[in-house]
Formats: sequence, C-alpha cells, structure tokens
Amino acid sequence: MANGLVIAANASLGDSIFLIVTFILLMWLVKHFAWGPVTKMMDKRAQKISDDLDGAAKSRSQAEQMAAQRQSELKNSKTEAIQIVNTAKENGEKSRQEIVTGAQTEAAQLKSKAKAEAEQAKTDALNSAREDVGQIAVNIAEALIKKDLNADDQKELIDAYIKGLTNADETR
Amino acid sequence: MDEKYQYLTIMGLKFNTANCISTLLTALLVFLFVFFTSRKLAMKPGKGQNLLEYLIDFTNGIVKGIMPGDEGKPFYFYIFVLFTFILFSNTLGLFLEVKINGVTFTKSPTADPMVTMPLAMVTLLMSHYYSVEKWGFKGYLSNYIRPVGFLLPINLIEEFTNFLTLSLRLYGNIFAGEVLIGLLLNVASSFGILTAVVAAPMTMIWQGFSVFIGAIQAYVFAILSCVYFSRKLERE
Repeated sequence: MANGLVIAANASLGDSIFLIVTFILLMWLVKHFAWGPVTKMMDKRAQKISDDLDGAAKSRSQAEQMAAQRQSELKNSKTEAIQIVNTAKENGEKSRQEIVTGAQTEAAQLKSKAKAEAEQAKTDALNSAREDVGQIAVNIAEALIKKDLNADDQKELIDAYIKGLTNADETR
Repeated sequence: MDEKYQYLTIMGLKFNTANCISTLLTALLVFLFVFFTSRKLAMKPGKGQNLLEYLIDFTNGIVKGIMPGDEGKPFYFYIFVLFTFILFSNTLGLFLEVKINGVTFTKSPTADPMVTMPLAMVTLLMSHYYSVEKWGFKGYLSNYIRPVGFLLPINLIEEFTNFLTLSLRLYGNIFAGEVLIGLLLNVASSFGILTAVVAAPMTMIWQGFSVFIGAIQAYVFAILSCVYFSRKLERE
C-alpha cells in the first residue's frame, strides 16, 4: 500500500471511473429506496385526486338536478294543493246541493205520501161508514120486521137512530 | 492555489483521495437524504415526503419544460439523481474542507474536471443511446447531416463542444467558489484575530452566494442535459 501512495499534481483518471461507479450505485439505491415508492405514491395520489374531482363534479351535477327536480315538484305541489282545495270545495258544494235537493225531494215525497195515506184513510172511513149505514139499515129493517110497529113508532125510531148516528159522527 | 492531494495508484489508475472521499460522501448524503425523506410514505405527505416530492416535481418540471409528453419519461429519474447529486456536491465544499498536514481530503467533488467530465460523459452517452434507440443506427448517423449535408463538420464539433462546455462550466464555477473560500480562509488566518473578524462576514457572504451559484449550476446542468437529450430525439 505504501508504495502505491504517490503525491503528484496531475489528472487522475481513476476519479472519473470511481465517480461513474458511485453514481450508478447511487442511482440504483435511490431508485430502489426512494424513487420507486415515492413516484408510485405520487401517481396514486394524482389518480385519487382526479377520481375525486370527477366524483365531485358528478355528485354536484346530481345535486343540482335533484334541486331542480325538487323545485319543480314544489311548484307542482302548490298547484296541486290549490287544485285539491278547489275540488274539495266543489265537492262540498255539490254534496251540499245534493243533500239539500235530496232532503227536499224526500220531504215532498213524504208529504205526498202522507197526503195519499190521509186520502186513502178518508175514503176507507167513508166506505166503511157507508157499509155500516147499510148494515145498520139492514139491522133496523130486521128489527122492524121482527117487531110490529106503527108509523109513528117507526118514525120515532128512525129519527132517534139518525140522531144517534149524527151524534156518533160528530164525536168521531 | 497550492492545494495538495494524496494520490493512490491502483492497477495503473491514479486516484485522488480527496475526490473519491468527497464523491462517496456526497453519494452517501444524497442517499441518506432520500432514504429518510421517503420513510413512512402516505397519501397525505408528511414533512420529509413533501420535501422529496417537491424536489421530484421540480426536476420532472425541468424535463417537462423541454420535452413535454411521453418522450421525456425515461429521463425523469436520471435528471432527479443528477440534479440532487450535483446540488449536494456543489454545496459540500462550502462547509466541509478537511485538511491534514496540508493535504486536502474533502472538498466539492465537482470542483475537479475529472469529476465533472464523467458526469457530462454519462449525459451525452445517454443522449446518443436514446437517439440510436429511437431512430435506429442509420437514422442516428443521418442526424449528423441534418438539416443539410455541409453541416456535418459543425455537427461533429458540436458533440465535443457540448461535452466540454457542459463539464467545464460546472467545474469552473465551483472551482472558482472554492478558490475564493480558500483565499478568504488564508486572509482570516494571516494576522490573527483582526483579519479573522474582517474575513468572517466576507466568507459568510461568499458562502451564501456560492450556495446560490451551486444551485444555479446544478439547475443549468440538468436543463442542458435535457436539451441535449431532446436535440437527439427531435428532427427539425
């Protein structure tokens, strides 16, 4: 080693070779320990950022669309509400009308029915009265036939009978 | 400057220990930097990861500025390592100058043409390699007579001037900075405490400026490498 040591002042080619070897070794080490993982991470981040930006734009447009949709729906629901109220009013009016007319017709019907029934009852009563009078006449005739009566007795009897009839008619 | 270095001769090759040690030290620092900033990688970057990612974005930006699109992709990693390595080595000599018995053991490795030349060589060889890969060997050769045939000698000379300017620009800037720092240190130690007080702020100012120059030179080296790559990959 000692005789290899020389002190001189001229160019040394060994330095160049040493530098190239060192430099290549350094490149290999840097690539293995730092460049590879770091650039990978940077690419990954760039990818993630672009993905995130795309996602953000997408969700933004989606949100805008939804907002517009909601706005239009709100508008629609307002008109719809007005419509509903209007139809309800209309329906109420209609049903009121119907109820009133129904009640009126029913009342009229009832009235006419009652009238008819009263008429019927009256005719029935008259008919039965007539029949009764006939029956009574028959009874009287029978009674007269059974009993020998003179004209005065007969007249008195009829008068009394009629009187009783009218009395009965009045009380009825 | 009467800097003295220790040389080792192994198998007929001469090694400058100062260059070797500082190159190794720079590589180690770069590796430690990227190693400790790339621990615990996460989607939400921490402090170290942020710094490293900023640096990667910066060097990627250099490549993208010259080669937008996919043709710049193979160079992202090379430019990142190149830029970081040159930046660290430019800065190393500003605060670390170890001398033992008047023999310098550490300095900026880029303050020596034998270090900057292989860096330029790697860049240019890569540019030739990618040119052949893209156009084929015939296409690569035919690029020397583009746009017109009589430009062939100029194109050939350009290859050498590219190499020399790229390597010697970096060497010259950093070497000058080191020389001035050496001079300021000489001033500081010449007449005891009085000159030390005078020289200290000047050294500080020059060191600050040298950091700036070192960063600029690393940037220039990276951007010119990209320019040479893109020239080989494009046809007018």
